[in-house]
Amino acid sequence: MKNFLEHTGIEPGRLHFSWISSAESTKFVDVVKKITHEVKMLDPANKRYVKTEPKVD
Amino acid sequence: MKLIKIDQQNWNTGIEKAKSAYRVFGPVKEKNDYEFKVLGTNEMPDLNFRNTRLSPKSIIYPQSQVMFTYSIDETKDDCRIMKEVENVTSPMAIIGVRPCDALSFPIVRRNFDTPEYQDTYWIKAYEATTFVGLACNSACDTCFCTSAGTGPFGEEGLDVLIIKDGDDFYTKIITPKGEAFAESAGWGKKEQTDITAKIKELKTAAEASVSSTVSTDKLKNKTILDLYDAPFWEEEAFACINCGTCTYVCPTCWCFDVQDETHGKSGIRMRNWDSCMFPLFTHHASGHNPRNNKYERVRQRFMHKLKYYVDKYDSGIQCVGCGRCIRLCPVNIDIRKICDKMNSFDTESCKCEATSS
Amino acid sequence: MKEYTEKIREIAKRLLNDGTVDMVIGFRKGTLPMMNQPHIATCTDSADELMWDSNCGLNLANYVTDRKEKIGIVAKGCDSRNLVTHVIENKIKRDQLYIIGIPCSGMIDHHKITAMFDTDITSVKESGESITISGNDFSKKLIKQDVLCENCAACTHRNPVEYDELVADLVEEQTDVDPYESVTEIESMDAEEKWNYFEDLISPCIRCYACRNACPLCYCPTCFVDESTPQWVGKSQDPIDVRTFHLLRAFHCAGRCTDCGACERVCPMGIKIREFTKKLNKDCLELYGWEAGLSLDERPPLDTFKTDDPDEFIK
Repeated sequence: MKNFLEHTGIEPGRLHFSWISSAESTKFVDVVKKITHEVKMLDPANKRYVKTEPKVD
Repeated sequence: MKLIKIDQQNWNTGIEKAKSAYRVFGPVKEKNDYEFKVLGTNEMPDLNFRNTRLSPKSIIYPQSQVMFTYSIDETKDDCRIMKEVENVTSPMAIIGVRPCDALSFPIVRRNFDTPEYQDTYWIKAYEATTFVGLACNSACDTCFCTSAGTGPFGEEGLDVLIIKDGDDFYTKIITPKGEAFAESAGWGKKEQTDITAKIKELKTAAEASVSSTVSTDKLKNKTILDLYDAPFWEEEAFACINCGTCTYVCPTCWCFDVQDETHGKSGIRMRNWDSCMFPLFTHHASGHNPRNNKYERVRQRFMHKLKYYVDKYDSGIQCVGCGRCIRLCPVNIDIRKICDKMNSFDTESCKCEATSS
Repeated sequence: MKEYTEKIREIAKRLLNDGTVDMVIGFRKGTLPMMNQPHIATCTDSADELMWDSNCGLNLANYVTDRKEKIGIVAKGCDSRNLVTHVIENKIKRDQLYIIGIPCSGMIDHHKITAMFDTDITSVKESGESITISGNDFSKKLIKQDVLCENCAACTHRNPVEYDELVADLVEEQTDVDPYESVTEIESMDAEEKWNYFEDLISPCIRCYACRNACPLCYCPTCFVDESTPQWVGKSQDPIDVRTFHLLRAFHCAGRCTDCGACERVCPMGIKIREFTKKLNKDCLELYGWEAGLSLDERPPLDTFKTDDPDEFIK
């Protein structure tokens, strides 16, 4: 799925997969920090992928 | 009615002039096919097209159209009140409407503009539009306009009819709307010329080029239930994949579905084209679907166009013979074949066959 | 192709007469050139309508989903792979089917041929490797190989993988072809270019859902786009909604698509819709060594777990 979304133009870095056990709270915090950092580095996605209201003629 | 002759140069300058008073639409080649588009400055309608892939219906009746806006913010006075969107259409002119497509507008009007019910969105767009038709000098193989109440030089639904003869444009001004368009194009003062004989000649040749015909004469006298229960539906519908192609490319299909979409505290109510080919079209909130089988949906489409409409309005069939559904149907379901089956359907002979086998 | 037609009719009549099957699903001649129609033959008379030529590109596996009868079905390579997929996914039982296998030499691309001429094509005649296209005032001979559907030109499974009887000797499989040429091309673009490529690709889409409905894989009782409680995707022509439909449709075909090309063939707007599924097919091949529908005994990769499944994407 990651490959496919990136293939259609969604930048690498927007989709993350991690395996975190319910006991691994510190890993969870680290992963979330890393993801938010990486996503913030990208341009805002709102114009392109985030639908606000339908654009129709 | 006035008849004038325009040369290529006058045509070009006229279209350009008209753009100051109208939003001018015309056929433009996109990738492999022609579509109606708004023409920009110095952009001319490309009249080398046979017909556009999609009909011009979406100019008057867009596939998705916002009708109302609303708020769901409880702190506001207008919470949950539907507010109609600004519904004023500036004058539009569609250049190059083929006579078959032109006839579709009066047909659709019977549904959207009735004494009991007026669809203001459709009516305002329709009234703001001038239809400048282009006669067909030769027909496509799938055209059967002459069996559907019009013809390659048909005028119904048009304000102006252009007949192209080499570099000349014979222009028939049919309505006051058409006159206003000719005026703004600077053609108003042109001398009326006598080209009637020449037009007649072209018309006869064009009509002779329509190679396919269907018979619709007996549809009206058939009993609805006989046709409804006819044995051919299941076989004819077998190939159908129930996509919406036939209904979306059809200039006379008018069904829509209303949808609300809310984002945060505000939302819109819009309508989108719908298709009787989709199971969802008749799916009830209870879960019941009165047209649960494919053949029932296929039957509905043809019965509506060729029987219910015929009976209700007594103005022919709800089809203009443009042939789009024939050309674009992925599985070759051909309305000409179905129409012939319906028209020639004989309950008596059918009963005999059933009992003898 | 005349031999194929005769053989199909002969087999169909035999199967119907001896009660092996209740019906035979094949193609009959359409009303337009290059347009044949899926046809269900239940008696010898209607079996005589069955025919075969290079315009039988729709996938007939689409017509057997959840049927309960005994069915004879005409199947070229891709159809047979979708029948295998149907059996694996419990949409039909193998012993309900009598597969009439067609060794296939490819189908011709009606979109491409129509676009080559400005006027109507009134007849398309095949003879061996050549195709003669004629209209009212022209006639042109083309080499079939040049006007094949893109998926057929790069097909490596022309022979049916599963059949009860063949209509002719097996054909030679193509080996020197790259079905993923365009995928590789897109892979080399940056994110912006990729986005724009697909934006342009689907811009003519009218959401008629012909691609979905022609696909034997799309058999959900209610498709996610038709679901209303909850509603997953908007119904308008909003570009993000249109794209969502295409992405999800394609993704639902991951590891199942046989690249039969039915979606592309049926698109009224001529959209090259296989660009979505081809990427998924390439990934399946590269990651799992998998091509859909080749064996009744192997479970698809997205249906099984193996300890050596690639997992680099999980961090």
